[in-house]
Amino acid sequence: MVKYIVRRVLFLIPVLVGVAFCVFTLLYLTPGDPAKMVLGDLATESAIRDFREKEGLDKPFLVQFGNYLYKAVTQGDIGRSYVTKRPVMTEIMATFPATLKLATFAIVIAIVLGLPCGILSAIKQYSAFDTVTMILAMIGLSMPVFWLGLLLILLFSVYLRWLPSSGFDTFKAMILPSLALSAQSVSMITRMTRSSMLEVIRADYIRTARSKGQKESVVIWVHALHNALIPVVTLCGLQFGSLLAGAILTESIFAVPGVGRLMVESIKARDYPVVQGGVLFVAAAFSVVNLLVDLLYAYIDPRIKAQYR
Amino acid sequence: MAEVFFRLAKSPLAMFGLAFILLLVFVAIFADVLAPYPFQKQNLMHSFETPSASFLLGTDEFGRDILSRLIYGARVSLQVGFIAVGIALVVGGMLGALSGYYGGWIDNAIMRVMDVLLSIPQTLLAIAIAAALGPGLFNLMIAVGISAVPTYARIVRGSVLSIRGMEFIEAAKAVGSSDTRIILRHIIPNSMAPIIVQSTLGVASAILNAAGLSFIGLGIQPPYPEWGAMLSGGRQYIRDYPHLTLYPGLAIMLTILALNFLGDGLRDALDPKLKR
Amino acid sequence: MKGTKGILFLGALVLALLCLTTAASAKDTLVVADQYDATTMDPIAHNDVPSSRACYSIYDTLIFLDGEGKVHPGLAEKWEFLSGTAYKFYLRKGVKFHNGEELKAEDVRYSIMRATTDLGAPITTYSQNVKDVEVVDDYTVIVHLKKEDYSFFSSLAHSWGSILNKKYTEEAGQGFGMNPVGTGPFRFVEWQKNNRYVLERFNDYWGPKVRFERLEVRAIPEPTNRTIELETGGVDIAYPIVHNDLKRVAENPDLVLYRKPQTSVTYVGFNMTKEPFTDKKVRHAIYAALDVVGIQAASYRGVGKVPNSLVPEAIKYSIDSEVPVHVQNQKEAEKLLKEAGVKGLKLQLWTNERKERVDSATIIQAQLQEVGIESEIKVLEWGAYLSGLQEKTHDMFILGWVSTVPDPNFAIAGLLESTSGSNYTFTKDAKIDEMLAEGRGVPDGDARAKIYKDLQLYINELRPMIYLHNDESIAGTRKNVKGFEPRSNEIHSFREVYFE
Repeated sequence: MVKYIVRRVLFLIPVLVGVAFCVFTLLYLTPGDPAKMVLGDLATESAIRDFREKEGLDKPFLVQFGNYLYKAVTQGDIGRSYVTKRPVMTEIMATFPATLKLATFAIVIAIVLGLPCGILSAIKQYSAFDTVTMILAMIGLSMPVFWLGLLLILLFSVYLRWLPSSGFDTFKAMILPSLALSAQSVSMITRMTRSSMLEVIRADYIRTARSKGQKESVVIWVHALHNALIPVVTLCGLQFGSLLAGAILTESIFAVPGVGRLMVESIKARDYPVVQGGVLFVAAAFSVVNLLVDLLYAYIDPRIKAQYR
Repeated sequence: MAEVFFRLAKSPLAMFGLAFILLLVFVAIFADVLAPYPFQKQNLMHSFETPSASFLLGTDEFGRDILSRLIYGARVSLQVGFIAVGIALVVGGMLGALSGYYGGWIDNAIMRVMDVLLSIPQTLLAIAIAAALGPGLFNLMIAVGISAVPTYARIVRGSVLSIRGMEFIEAAKAVGSSDTRIILRHIIPNSMAPIIVQSTLGVASAILNAAGLSFIGLGIQPPYPEWGAMLSGGRQYIRDYPHLTLYPGLAIMLTILALNFLGDGLRDALDPKLKR
Repeated sequence: MKGTKGILFLGALVLALLCLTTAASAKDTLVVADQYDATTMDPIAHNDVPSSRACYSIYDTLIFLDGEGKVHPGLAEKWEFLSGTAYKFYLRKGVKFHNGEELKAEDVRYSIMRATTDLGAPITTYSQNVKDVEVVDDYTVIVHLKKEDYSFFSSLAHSWGSILNKKYTEEAGQGFGMNPVGTGPFRFVEWQKNNRYVLERFNDYWGPKVRFERLEVRAIPEPTNRTIELETGGVDIAYPIVHNDLKRVAENPDLVLYRKPQTSVTYVGFNMTKEPFTDKKVRHAIYAALDVVGIQAASYRGVGKVPNSLVPEAIKYSIDSEVPVHVQNQKEAEKLLKEAGVKGLKLQLWTNERKERVDSATIIQAQLQEVGIESEIKVLEWGAYLSGLQEKTHDMFILGWVSTVPDPNFAIAGLLESTSGSNYTFTKDAKIDEMLAEGRGVPDGDARAKIYKDLQLYINELRPMIYLHNDESIAGTRKNVKGFEPRSNEIHSFREVYFE
């Protein structure tokens, strides 16, 4: 098991190097000179030259990339923001808590709503409840988050005046963005729970339990649920990972000061070190969450444990 | 094929999805005939009108007919959706097929690159590509398409792997078919099922992704109507004139819904195991 | 039973938390909603309005300009013009920085000379003419200029002229912009990028002290959200208020709407180095084809007005009210195009993502089509837009210009002087350059007025750009907020604000 974890973590390194290279290439191709963006259009030629020299922007592409990698690996230094002059890590850490809060809230909502709905749907397959839930889940999957966000603002902030439409400092302000962000996950978890329950219910050992005369509720809640939850847990983990990374639109509609907005603003401001560091950070977080999900999966499903050696 | 369709026809939701998409394709092709007005036709005296006999869904801030813009928008959205998936499918499918068929270092090299792309969240990747390429319809398709490549590469590789060892491939090899021929004639047709399902769902997510990019201003240029851009342009007026955002929002949602229903139905129809 | 109790307890806890969060925003905190966040609080490392606004609360300048453009003593109690190139300032005594240090002449010298280094690249327009700052004694300095420039003095009230503490700034190094120290009425507390910054009252301030405890400025980019927050009392002041919310704010009994003409101009520029826009006839033809009044009205809907001159009316020597309003004339446009020998003209019109500009571009496109000019709109995101313009490949473009310092020199020079970095029409006109230099070298009075009036007429005749819009500074406040008034240069002040 330990060996497996070590191997997976080591495997992250080439992936992250690849991510860094990708981002470097994309930013290199992006029109817009960071020196001019940072210094403004009134800057003198010499100031621009100095800036480019100081930031290494005058060097050939591969040299720039090599230097970046070297510094990152040997000193753990991923540069400073062009705009604020603070270390990139500081910038990311200033925005990460908001994103983490948002994603956590959203996944909690998704689990609290999705699990019971999925289970009930499965137990009462083809009932009215099942049909309605499944159609709602499909609508949730199809709803563009930016439209849902606008509708939520219109309903809860404009008409009902219950909740604020922006800011992320109070509990109340976090409700709408979390709801909007969770819609897709709620739907996915509901659908997954339902189909996984259905599969398990038909399985032989459930039939055995039933035939042994155990109470139906015990069969459902003890035997079926335990096994049906395995893929759902995995899905929750994967969803959490993508929520961490995919909150860009939600963050910009509700003015949430998270990593996603930092990325978009930094791309717009041509603050290259922050974009590079940010994408790297998001990719790393995403991969680590996925690794944890895999481990959890192995932990709860003994059949798989055997493979990880 | 007929059997698949027969199974598909048994699901009313999938049929609804199919009908809606066909309708949309029809509307997109005959937009010039169907739209009551040209999509860029402004009438500043009639801005922000609510739905009426002459403007069935009302007008936007320039007095442009919203219905006409939705109709032309269907053309844009479907183009983006299908072409982006086409790009992803061709590039991803080829990489996946090579990877799965040859295995070894080719497989390793390709899949590691895909791992890298997969570890960057798709929205972020699309934003970065769109920023690098600049705005415009074509660039939008490329950005959305490329960001979806790894998904298809994985799927195709997976199904190729499962087919590769089968007897009829061995047989083809034994009679001396070339690798290209085996891939094109045997492997790809036989791994179609998951690809068709994924592509249907992929068109949905491509349309969503493109609308999202347009929403944050990295999409297509005015006056061309793209649903996400219409939504973004109308959001400032959401309190006074919600119909500016209501209809494009509905259009996106219904299209995605239809594609999802269809995709679900196809999965069940193509994979009889699941349906009992 | 146990479970129910737990849920009740949890509910009570949540309620209590909710109450706490509302109680915390009692009336000793002024909450302001701005459209964008500041980029840096280093006064010379930026040239954008939200950052200048932050600087105006944290720092003081040697002189202050009021809303009417009148000069008042700031950190300098009085001053003398020794010559056209030497200004002597007598500093206020006993002024404290937020770190406890006392303001000395050396700090002034340090601050202004620092602006002339590459650190001050974004504001070189203002600092480029400084030769040296001479320290006479601890409370007297003389600013020496390279050449006579009568627009320089009032620019010292711009945030670039903020006075820093030499010792602290040198120690803070690169971190200064995120953790500033000044002499202003507010001291820095915290800043969460893209969300909000918090300042608090500086109790050792040399001037009138602020009448509330904390200032919190939130960045809320969505206009609808800003107005909702204002209506629900989430913020006390919000700007800018967009046109479709004007009525809502004005008619709300809990709110007050403030409007003030801005010293800014939005224009459609021609690339003066590219065929056929090198031909004055073509430029005038396109101008004639456009109903600028209609375009302005449809895009800005009751906010601002169409400028008749490059120098906004709120700036001295403007001829805006003397020039007649432009009338669309499609016949004239077709005639001029014919004379210029241009047929089937196709062009690109560039703009950034600002909604009103995209709207204007969309209407311009439709109107040009009516005289047979095909145009394609390109909406570019800011970074790509600026670098595209610098490559000189554009035809026509929409851009804005704010004269933060209310002097006609700054309204014209940045856009049309051949050496200016923000001259995106790439106008290279010897006469304009000559007249600008002349205008800077003459003290205020009739002679200076005549130079700028002639220059404005000459620019209208040359027509390197079509003026679209003079904006307004529009802000909304809660009714109990008093002492606030938006400034025409958008550097709004919270120094005098109080709650009733």
